[in-house]
Amino acid sequence: MTLNRRDFVAGAAALAAAAPLPLGRALAQDKVIRFGMLHDFTRVYTFVTAEYSQGQRDCLTLVNERGGINGYKLVAEVSDHGNDVPRAIETYERLKQQGAVLIDPLSTPVARALVPRAMQDQINMLTTLSGRSDAADGSVFPYVMPLSPNYWTQAGILVDFFRQQDKDLKGKKIVVVHIDTPFGREPLPIFQALGQKLGYELQAFPYTPPGNDQAAIWPQVRRARPDWVVFWGAGVGQTVALSEAIRNGVRMDRVASSVWLSESDMEVVGKNETKGVLKFEACAGGREPKLIQDILKDVVGKGKGAGPEAKVGTSYYNIGVMMGAILAEGVRVAFQKNANGPITGPWLNEGLRAITNFTAEGLMPAMTSTKTDHQGGGRGRVVRWDGAKFVPVSDWFAANQDLVWDEIRKSSAEFKASGK
Amino acid sequence: MFYRRAGIRHTTYRSERQLWPLPFDRALVAIIFVLLVLAPLLVGDLYLAGYLLPWVIWSTAALGLNFLMGGAGQIHLGYGAVMAIGAYTSVHLVRAGTPLEIAMIGGGLASAAIGIVFGAAALRVKGLYLAMATLAMQYIVDFVISHVPAISGGTQATIQVPPVRFLGVPVAGNAATYYMALAVGTIVTLFMLNIKRTSLGRALAAVREKDYAAEVIGVGTLRYKLLAFWISSFIGGVVGAVLAVCYLRSVSPDQFHLELSIQLVAMVIVGGLGSILGSFFGAALILFAPIVFNNIIGGVSDALALPISTDLRAHVPLVLYGALIIGFLLWEPLGLAKIYANVRDYFLVWPFRHARR
Repeated sequence: MTLNRRDFVAGAAALAAAAPLPLGRALAQDKVIRFGMLHDFTRVYTFVTAEYSQGQRDCLTLVNERGGINGYKLVAEVSDHGNDVPRAIETYERLKQQGAVLIDPLSTPVARALVPRAMQDQINMLTTLSGRSDAADGSVFPYVMPLSPNYWTQAGILVDFFRQQDKDLKGKKIVVVHIDTPFGREPLPIFQALGQKLGYELQAFPYTPPGNDQAAIWPQVRRARPDWVVFWGAGVGQTVALSEAIRNGVRMDRVASSVWLSESDMEVVGKNETKGVLKFEACAGGREPKLIQDILKDVVGKGKGAGPEAKVGTSYYNIGVMMGAILAEGVRVAFQKNANGPITGPWLNEGLRAITNFTAEGLMPAMTSTKTDHQGGGRGRVVRWDGAKFVPVSDWFAANQDLVWDEIRKSSAEFKASGK
Repeated sequence: MFYRRAGIRHTTYRSERQLWPLPFDRALVAIIFVLLVLAPLLVGDLYLAGYLLPWVIWSTAALGLNFLMGGAGQIHLGYGAVMAIGAYTSVHLVRAGTPLEIAMIGGGLASAAIGIVFGAAALRVKGLYLAMATLAMQYIVDFVISHVPAISGGTQATIQVPPVRFLGVPVAGNAATYYMALAVGTIVTLFMLNIKRTSLGRALAAVREKDYAAEVIGVGTLRYKLLAFWISSFIGGVVGAVLAVCYLRSVSPDQFHLELSIQLVAMVIVGGLGSILGSFFGAALILFAPIVFNNIIGGVSDALALPISTDLRAHVPLVLYGALIIGFLLWEPLGLAKIYANVRDYFLVWPFRHARR
């Protein structure tokens, strides 16, 4: 068969004509609560999103298998936005039309672009470990829900862990190797403020995005003779940073990173070579927590898993489960407050902002969200890579929240001043 | 039959040289324009904010770039940066209390001033080398914006657009933002339609075809190349302001990266170099093909309950999109505007097959 120009054009036109047809949504039930999970599966976050989304959907499936909440099923509408703002806005408007009460963009640029719309339309926006850090200030961002420790909190906890290890950080040197984007520079104010408070010297080394070449930076890091090295990046930058650190003989048990480091990264660099690396953890990894066991038994075991079984229990999978569990808890609290609905954004908002001491059956540290604190307390822990898995080296704890909140309020005040 | 050219006799130069000499074309343009004006009454929020608004804005941007690439023959790979300058300048001006109308012009002027500096490279280099020079502009502007907190706005690197009024109407909600974008788009389109008939347009065409031949016949390339960059950058700056105020409502550096520039170049090329209609077609295809494919694949897999993974479901639309772009470049390298012209030519003489043009 040869394809000629006319057939090609006719085919393209037919596709365009088919676009507005209301496909799918055949299973419209009345007792559902819709969440819009518009993620980036294809451009920047790729495998992170795949694992996160799998965990989130498995968790919601578990809730639904147990009969839902108050007879309502939680439905996740998953869609790809490729980290592209126009695509995300189109998806957002479509989900709004379908009655979604919450959206989860899982992308900092998209979340930033959607903040004004979500606030205006009163649709809750989940910004798991991403988005605006100052959204923790619930009084300024009523509909933006990080519900997880922001980057400033993560930096505060890492420094406090260093202090616990060395007893005193006076005269020590901490080096921050970060990607040279707003995201990479974000934790620096906390590192600086803590340096003044605790008396350590801070040196920051930016590398150019996306970070696939950091060869010029790491010899300087070695020359600086740091006591602790923090590397702060995403995607390829993380693995390259680790490889370069190894090449330059930086001690692995003195290297730490944010939450965005996973088993997959360690496999790329070398499981044994990276033994000792530290990272921040927002919820327990692995398959031991009860919730993960339940999912393995009741969801994955029955063939209802959303993805490959091998991914169950990875760091990002568990983060997805954590967020799914928090959502379910938010819905439960919302029903407690207002059992008869109606199911709207403000209704769910009441629930999400009144979660108290929720631990997701031991998966995560106790989190309490209030109308002013959308971060949930800012607890986390530090874990160490032992060659096969991340092992906790501290308890769940919160640290330096006073400094973090200074930064949050400073930034949210700026937003408030310009937004009105 | 549809176009009914018989009996139309132009007795003055004016009527012969009007934009649409055939009544059918005039009626078509009028109907489409009226539909666009009535759109907020006819379609819901989803289609207004999700499709029409970005389409109008991106088409206007593509027109500005097409003026440079198709009209003057100068390639530009940093048009996203031009729009960024306009967006940031105008938003900062608005935040400082300047009225939006003046801030938009200010954004345009800032873009034009900086754009012309990089455009000056076009006086010495051509083709691929000019592409590199403009690419450098993209990276330099990106770097400056994200490294000067006074521009990008502190640690969050996002600045909000305060509530503004355009010609006395508050720019809020979907209808008002759409009308503002449509107004700017209409003005730019009219400008583009008319400029081809002016001495400037003809001079640019001469520069496009062969710049030293143009110089020989007395068209100063220095002046016209710089002018082309100035005008195109000015439009880019104004569209950047519209994009920020009407669509994004909060600006951050990552919205204006190389991806945006490449997207615009793709719109111009797929739509048709130098074609005004093509800019609109190109913008629609490049913006919406991924969305439409995504919705169709998602809808089909939902309706049939196909057991395909989310990952695959997300990637198949991109594969189809890539194939579509390659397909258009292979089978219609002159762009979507040429497809329209072919259809129009066919109906011009329909039901006969041939006629003298």
